[in-house]
Amino acid sequence: MTADPIAATASPPAQTAPAPVPARRRRNWAPVFFLLPFFVPFVLFTLVPVGYAFYQSLLKTERTGGTFGRKTTVFAGLDQYKEVLGDAEFLGSVGRVLVFGLVQIPVMLLLALVLALLLDSTVARLKRFFRIAYFVPYGIPGVIAALMWAFLYDPRLSPIVDLLDKAGSAPDFLGSSMMLWSIGNVVTWTYTGYNMLIIYAALQAVPSDIYEAARMDGASEATIAWRIKVPILRPALILTGVFSIIGTLQLFTEPQVLRSISTSVTSTYTPNLAAYSLASANNYSEAAAMSVTLALATFVLSFGFLKLTGRKAES
Amino acid sequence: MSLRTHRPAFRRALVALVALPLLATAACGGSGTEDGASGEQATCEKSDGKVKLTYWSWIPGVDKAVAEWNRQNPDIQVTVKSTPTGNTGTYQNMSNALKAGNAPDLGQIEYDSLASFRLQEGLTDIASCAGVKEAQGDFVDWTWSQVTFGADGKDGVWAVPQDTGPMALFYRKDLFEKHGIAVPKTWDEYYEAAKKLKKADPKAYMTHFSQTDPNWFSGLLWQKGANMFAQEGDAWKVDVDSPAAGEVADYWQKMIDEKLVATDLQGFSPALHKAWNNGEVATWVSAAWGYSTIRDNAKATAGKWAVAPMPQWSAGENKAGNWGGSTTAVMGKSKHPYEAAQFALWLNTDPKALEILNREGGLYPAATAGLELAALKKPVDFYDGQTVFDVFADASKNVTTDWTFGPTMTDTYRFMGDGIAGALGGQGTLEDALRTADAKTVDSLEKQSLEVAK
Repeated sequence: MTADPIAATASPPAQTAPAPVPARRRRNWAPVFFLLPFFVPFVLFTLVPVGYAFYQSLLKTERTGGTFGRKTTVFAGLDQYKEVLGDAEFLGSVGRVLVFGLVQIPVMLLLALVLALLLDSTVARLKRFFRIAYFVPYGIPGVIAALMWAFLYDPRLSPIVDLLDKAGSAPDFLGSSMMLWSIGNVVTWTYTGYNMLIIYAALQAVPSDIYEAARMDGASEATIAWRIKVPILRPALILTGVFSIIGTLQLFTEPQVLRSISTSVTSTYTPNLAAYSLASANNYSEAAAMSVTLALATFVLSFGFLKLTGRKAES
Repeated sequence: MSLRTHRPAFRRALVALVALPLLATAACGGSGTEDGASGEQATCEKSDGKVKLTYWSWIPGVDKAVAEWNRQNPDIQVTVKSTPTGNTGTYQNMSNALKAGNAPDLGQIEYDSLASFRLQEGLTDIASCAGVKEAQGDFVDWTWSQVTFGADGKDGVWAVPQDTGPMALFYRKDLFEKHGIAVPKTWDEYYEAAKKLKKADPKAYMTHFSQTDPNWFSGLLWQKGANMFAQEGDAWKVDVDSPAAGEVADYWQKMIDEKLVATDLQGFSPALHKAWNNGEVATWVSAAWGYSTIRDNAKATAGKWAVAPMPQWSAGENKAGNWGGSTTAVMGKSKHPYEAAQFALWLNTDPKALEILNREGGLYPAATAGLELAALKKPVDFYDGQTVFDVFADASKNVTTDWTFGPTMTDTYRFMGDGIAGALGGQGTLEDALRTADAKTVDSLEKQSLEVAK
């Protein structure tokens, strides 16, 4: 769940000073100066790489003479995009992560919301402990988390599968019908605490006299949660939703790790894996086209989500 | 070690993760016209004065051999940089460095990746460097055909062979004896042995079939003479799904269908090692370097394993496949090809260097002189005192020479791996996997703008 696309959508509006000093043409460079620390890394680490990837995606390799030939790189226009969009496996992988997201994101966010509300309720004890405990999975590097779960899924190593087996039947966590669920479980485990913390932080910002007033009116904790807290949490939920959409389309680590122990994950299981595979085979142009397509899809989906949720808020 | 042996999931995943943000930047380079200066080295002149060379390698203890060279050659000083094994990062770094123009003078490259580095114009032809062509006789035949791409040196010499992975059969002597199974000499006998084992112990498997080692399967095809690639004039002939390959695929498909091989054990995985220790898996057709893989990961079975020649397709034959092994290549754009070639030759033929590389890095040498190393003539404790390397020395000489790796081998392996995964998971067959890999490989070559013979 990288946040750079967020940075892109959150770029501050260009500020035109209300200029009440018409006589002297004095430009105030101070705002520019203060914005530099944001814009320089943004240009260097977001715009330039994306621009370069786009440039790469317009090229292709040509060769002359011999079985190995001499390499030249030529401009190919949108040829690589035609390849990518005609690639059934890539499209299949996009479909796969969309289905994944449709199930996993709501489950995870609902879980995060419920946990945040429980933590925030007046009866909750040991708040600080639980807050940290739920956040711990996010602090574990994704690869380690995936490896740990891979161990727990592996029928020959896992104590859990062993127990389930003794209890009657153990599902084949690594089989092709279960794989998406197994990955979903790892992702949910890792990011629920993270999302919960964002939602919980938003709850902390609500002045407590609102609840006070509601209680005086005789509202129960449940009513307060549902009628007051959830509506207030809207922006936080939208934010975590966008994060999750981006994260879902970028899905990489978990399937890549599980790939080494399961036959269900192919080299094109997710769009990111597909692009990675192409790049490791030195097919940079197509990998770049795939990455740009994926970035566009991510942008359209997260922006569409924002629009959709924004419109609902107005009505 | 130098081979594709050690790639625990953790490291692969770690590299994958690190590589991910690089995806955008990895798309760097390759822009504009590359003048291909690295492509052909017309002359190989000695440089004036002192020369400093850089060398990337992942052989454990290679620095000791390099120190010996530096001591003997004060004018050609080599600095070695220890890198992760090829596919777990070094190749990507080499590709990036080549594009950025700061590649090392020398690099360790496995046979199967050599063609793709040549395709990237990442290698220097050292055929005209003093002593290189003459060195042909010093190496096991098939290794020389690998570095000359099967063109008898007419097409240049692109690296110096380093080590190899001739294949043989590792088997559990104790289990074979217990169940009255004779050591199989042919693949038919191997199949019968597998059935007998299954009958005697329903929980046991003859071997494991790993989805993650398409290069292992290539080693089996190599033995059968099922060449996946050939050069025809200026074109590439792709024959991944040749009839011979089909026979190998059908054979193993039968083993899979009859559940004689374990399909849920990946190579070099903790689960496999556990199965070895438990006696659940009775054999492994593997390379010379595999002796340490078993020794280090199946400690509970010390003294119970033995090594025999690879089963044959026809009785009385004596053919072996190869799995792994690498070369020392002079990288493209090196300013000192002469000195680099001298070092590469020394490193891989000098008795002292060979001894160090074998002792420190466990390399199984590509030089014929290396096969006679005293260390390789000794009985090995773990294998109950068997002189296992005698078997591999024979195998090494029996590896057929006309095998050619394709120039987009990473892709071909990937397609095979995906197809094999399908077959192991019950979707499609190994034969389907080969057919799909064939079609996709043609596609991949065409994307690299290479001519493909139909």
